[in-house]
Amino acid sequence: MNWLSISSGAFLVAFVLYCAAFLFYVIAVIGRKWKNRDPQHHLRKWGRIAFICSSLGLAAHLAFFFTRWAGAGHIPTSNMYEFMTLLGMMIMIAFTVLYAIYRAPLLGMFALPLTILIIAYAAVFPSEVQPLVPSLQSNWLRLHVTGAALGEAFFAVGFAAGLMYLLRVTDYNDKSASARRSQFWLEFSLYVLVVVAGFIITVFAFRGAGYEATFLREELTIDAYGNEQWTRETIEYQMPPIVKPHGSEPVSVRPFLGLDRPLFEAPAWMQGVNAGRKFNTVIWSIISGTILYGLLRLAARRPLGAVIHPLLEGIDPEDLDEISYRAIAIGFPIFTLGALIFAMIWAEQAWGRFWGWDPKEVWALITWLFYSAYLHLRLSNGWHGLRSSWLSVIGFLIVMFTLIGVNLIIAGLHSYAGVS
Amino acid sequence: MLENTKCECGHQNPPDTALCESCGKPLGTEALTDGPLEMRYDGVARRSQKSNPNLLDRIWSFFSSVKVAVVLIVITLIAAIFGTILPQENAFINFDPSWYEEHYGLAGKIYYMLGFSRTYESWWFITLLVMIGASLVICSLDRVVPLYRALNKQQVRKHIQFLTRQRVTYAADLEDDDAEWMRKLAEQFRKRRFRVRVEDNALLAEKNRFSRWGPYINHVGLIIFLLAVLARAIPGWQLDEYVGVREGEIAHIPETNYYVKNLDFEVEFYSDDELPERLKGTLRPKRFVTKAELYVCEANCGSTALEPVLRKVKEHDIVVNDPLEYKGLKLYQFDYDTTPRLKTIRPVLVDLKSGETYGPFELSILEPEPEYELGPYRLKLITRFLDFTVNADGVPGNKSSQPNAPAFLFLIEGPDLPEGGETFFYFPIPTDRERFGQDLINGELAERFDFRVTDMAHVEFLGDVSYLNVRVDRALPYIFAGAFISLIGLVMGFYWQHRRVWLRIDDGRLTLGAHTNKNWYGLRSEVAAALRSAGLEADPKSLDNGGKRR
Amino acid sequence: MKGRKRKITQVVILIGILLLGGYAVGTSLFKSDEKPKIGGRPPAFENVADVEGNLHSLADYRGRPVIINFWGTFCPPCVAEMPAIERQYQKYKDQGLVVLAINLSEDDITVRDFLKRFNLSYTILRDRNRMIERKYALRSYPTTFFIGRDGRILDIDTGGMTDEEIERYILRLLET
Repeated sequence: MNWLSISSGAFLVAFVLYCAAFLFYVIAVIGRKWKNRDPQHHLRKWGRIAFICSSLGLAAHLAFFFTRWAGAGHIPTSNMYEFMTLLGMMIMIAFTVLYAIYRAPLLGMFALPLTILIIAYAAVFPSEVQPLVPSLQSNWLRLHVTGAALGEAFFAVGFAAGLMYLLRVTDYNDKSASARRSQFWLEFSLYVLVVVAGFIITVFAFRGAGYEATFLREELTIDAYGNEQWTRETIEYQMPPIVKPHGSEPVSVRPFLGLDRPLFEAPAWMQGVNAGRKFNTVIWSIISGTILYGLLRLAARRPLGAVIHPLLEGIDPEDLDEISYRAIAIGFPIFTLGALIFAMIWAEQAWGRFWGWDPKEVWALITWLFYSAYLHLRLSNGWHGLRSSWLSVIGFLIVMFTLIGVNLIIAGLHSYAGVS
Repeated sequence: MLENTKCECGHQNPPDTALCESCGKPLGTEALTDGPLEMRYDGVARRSQKSNPNLLDRIWSFFSSVKVAVVLIVITLIAAIFGTILPQENAFINFDPSWYEEHYGLAGKIYYMLGFSRTYESWWFITLLVMIGASLVICSLDRVVPLYRALNKQQVRKHIQFLTRQRVTYAADLEDDDAEWMRKLAEQFRKRRFRVRVEDNALLAEKNRFSRWGPYINHVGLIIFLLAVLARAIPGWQLDEYVGVREGEIAHIPETNYYVKNLDFEVEFYSDDELPERLKGTLRPKRFVTKAELYVCEANCGSTALEPVLRKVKEHDIVVNDPLEYKGLKLYQFDYDTTPRLKTIRPVLVDLKSGETYGPFELSILEPEPEYELGPYRLKLITRFLDFTVNADGVPGNKSSQPNAPAFLFLIEGPDLPEGGETFFYFPIPTDRERFGQDLINGELAERFDFRVTDMAHVEFLGDVSYLNVRVDRALPYIFAGAFISLIGLVMGFYWQHRRVWLRIDDGRLTLGAHTNKNWYGLRSEVAAALRSAGLEADPKSLDNGGKRR
Repeated sequence: MKGRKRKITQVVILIGILLLGGYAVGTSLFKSDEKPKIGGRPPAFENVADVEGNLHSLADYRGRPVIINFWGTFCPPCVAEMPAIERQYQKYKDQGLVVLAINLSEDDITVRDFLKRFNLSYTILRDRNRMIERKYALRSYPTTFFIGRDGRILDIDTGGMTDEEIERYILRLLET
């Protein structure tokens, strides 16, 4: 028994506890309308059970974090697996802080699935401990990553509350154009979440099946002195290839449901080694997410938003609006410190430039600008409720793009190991 | 146009005042409605709101608008997104404009032509930042002054409408003595760390006023930050250069009067047992260090012909995250090249017929001697190549100026050789010998002579090259000072809230109004708790008077 | 009185913003990149040794048409154009034409042995540690700068040149 095996055990425990806590929060909220009970008493009782359960989950998660730290010899914030688990943990911390302020069990019903989704996403990445390359051996970097994750976690809780607000106030019986538009975009937001779940499920399904396909790409490059050089790259897929990397030939493709060769080729501008594979993954995620969404719709026979909407009845939407805003207000200074100031100090030490306009950096700045616009609109121009909640949803989308999308699409200094 | 701006309490207010500066009675349009009051800046008239504006006023009020500030932020945000679509020019050490077209075709060319390849240095992006800066200054100034005035001369006793039209209000009929109630309530608010003033059966409890200054301190920090960034354009405040220096050698640092010597360069890799399964066998660097010395040039600087006169000023082990620093000049570990390159070899000349060997002799790759005497033989160096190649027209030449594939062309003179000697090509690196067909080139002579290195001790390699990034950034202290001031402002503004409670007792009727700039939930709970402790029943939720939240 | 004081503050602040902002935008607009451009002045260099060890400065040739050619033995098009440059130099040197061919920081033996194969009469200069090359912000080899009598860059050519091309440049140079 060493630190690392304790650590992975704790991770599993945390995951299970989070799932259970989610269930309890759902019971707490839905069960208010069950017969033979006082709604307030039920909510308080099950809310407490759920909160204890999610706190235990957080404790296990913290145990995972610190035992991994002990086992690896450095704080686990250095690759995508470690970062996403850290983000999940920070969301739970942010949730706990807001729960302590507002005592709103409902928040758990939305914050927990978000955490579960994020740590399940983390599990897609290789989880082994990697020794650090020299540029990552810096305390400022550790502070930067931890601080940025905590700030983003508050934004995530702001998003969860904002989404709840939207689900609460959207009237599914209203047939007016503006109501329909609101219903559509809300449904679309939920669909995106389902696609993320679809992505995770697909990755694990094909990984479980041990699927593999290999491509070879030969490329002619001409160096500065005019010498021609052939480079050969092998590209491995863990999902059946719908699209093959640009300019590559299949070496081996295991047939899947009759699919024994790629259907088409990635366009020429997708040049990176992994671009074709990432594109393929995105296609698979959309396919499986859409199927999953279709199944859910089929089971519910109405929009998912219309399924959730009645569950939230009886909650004061103003409270949700306030929680969402408060989460963002708490997160903003932390994000400024972690994602921008500590990042500048680290960049100064490691590269000699406090700001390099690296895509990841720019996107952190974009996130910051977006939330500062949000705060100004709210504080000075009176944007609250609906508009403010939409902004919190878009803001979190920007956060996720900064964390994942930039690595998926744009490469920079910060790129952790790419997306599956 | 003259407006009657005198309040019923007798206070003369400036035009466009929403709430009387003294008693808080709603004035102008605020008096026409009966919803919760607009309490921003306590209802005082802002500077920029003026009738009959001239050009100056127009510019001023343009930048004074928060709406404009938000629009500027959003435009900057979108512009910044454009800059991340394709790599920026500054990502290249040696930038070549045709790169965009080569890699991204027409789209790349357009991107380059439109100047998005240098978004963040472009005049329009800088203009946006300047406008944001202007907005920061003017917006803050326009609000902080009236706000300061309003908060500095607060009246305790407010108009009854001012209280009932707050977002948090409460009213109750009291029994017992009014003064006794007032004392009890004041005590409750003091307990909650409010500063309480009681006057004339009215009470004002206030706390955390400083948090109102948070946004302005934040903006001051941002202005300092932007000014510091601007200051980097001052000549000599900024330098960004690269220098490669080989072990044991000294190199001039471009654009400066300094030279750097690389005493020793070392790379340490992770051993296999430190690596996870997937990475075993890969060379993953653990640490690299350049033992460096910094010299300042005192004479003959910048000359390509004369030796500079140098004086040592600093020694430091340069590691990633730990640069060498001297008077604002910083040398960062950037890259390294440990490709082994020959420095000298000590081969022997072998007479293949007799088996006799002559030598060894010292053959320097960079500075070979013109002649070598080996027993009865004499080697004359005709020429030497550093990176041998055969050109398209069959002429031997160099592929680069780096000693990647050294080759020597000797003239061998001696017994049994024709008058004037015979030429012999020698490739010291065995793979080059194969690659270029040394034996083939030398023909019959290859069967008679050969150069051999009998011992690896006879091979000496050039040192590793360490690449250093040279930086000067004199604005740095100001940049970080600005950032921290801004952060302090944010923390003040977001983690504390300014709370005020006004209270009047008029003939046994208690009226309460409360206001905060953020976190109404917290204010309601606090007021309700204070009322409860004083013996008045109040549910936090019931204090809510509706209205907009901030 | 109060209004006037306010107005003065406003004017001062706006002028301050205008000056600082104008400076910021101006430096980004007119950033010269410090790289030589057509119509601009060529970066100066002092005391650069030729193959015999004589020192040359660009300023020595003020008022004369100058061709500055960067070359390396490892660059086939550089080598290919050298005989053409020599022929054109012979043709026009009497009219004051100067050719300074700057070697790309190669070592002594390489340059010496290489030059043995050609019979070049124009001036070959030796750069060291790429100092001059950096000043001229070279991106590819060969690159040739044509500097008129007025001391301004008339044209810049990258890539190898033929006799005709060189002559055309020289005729333009002589007109300045």
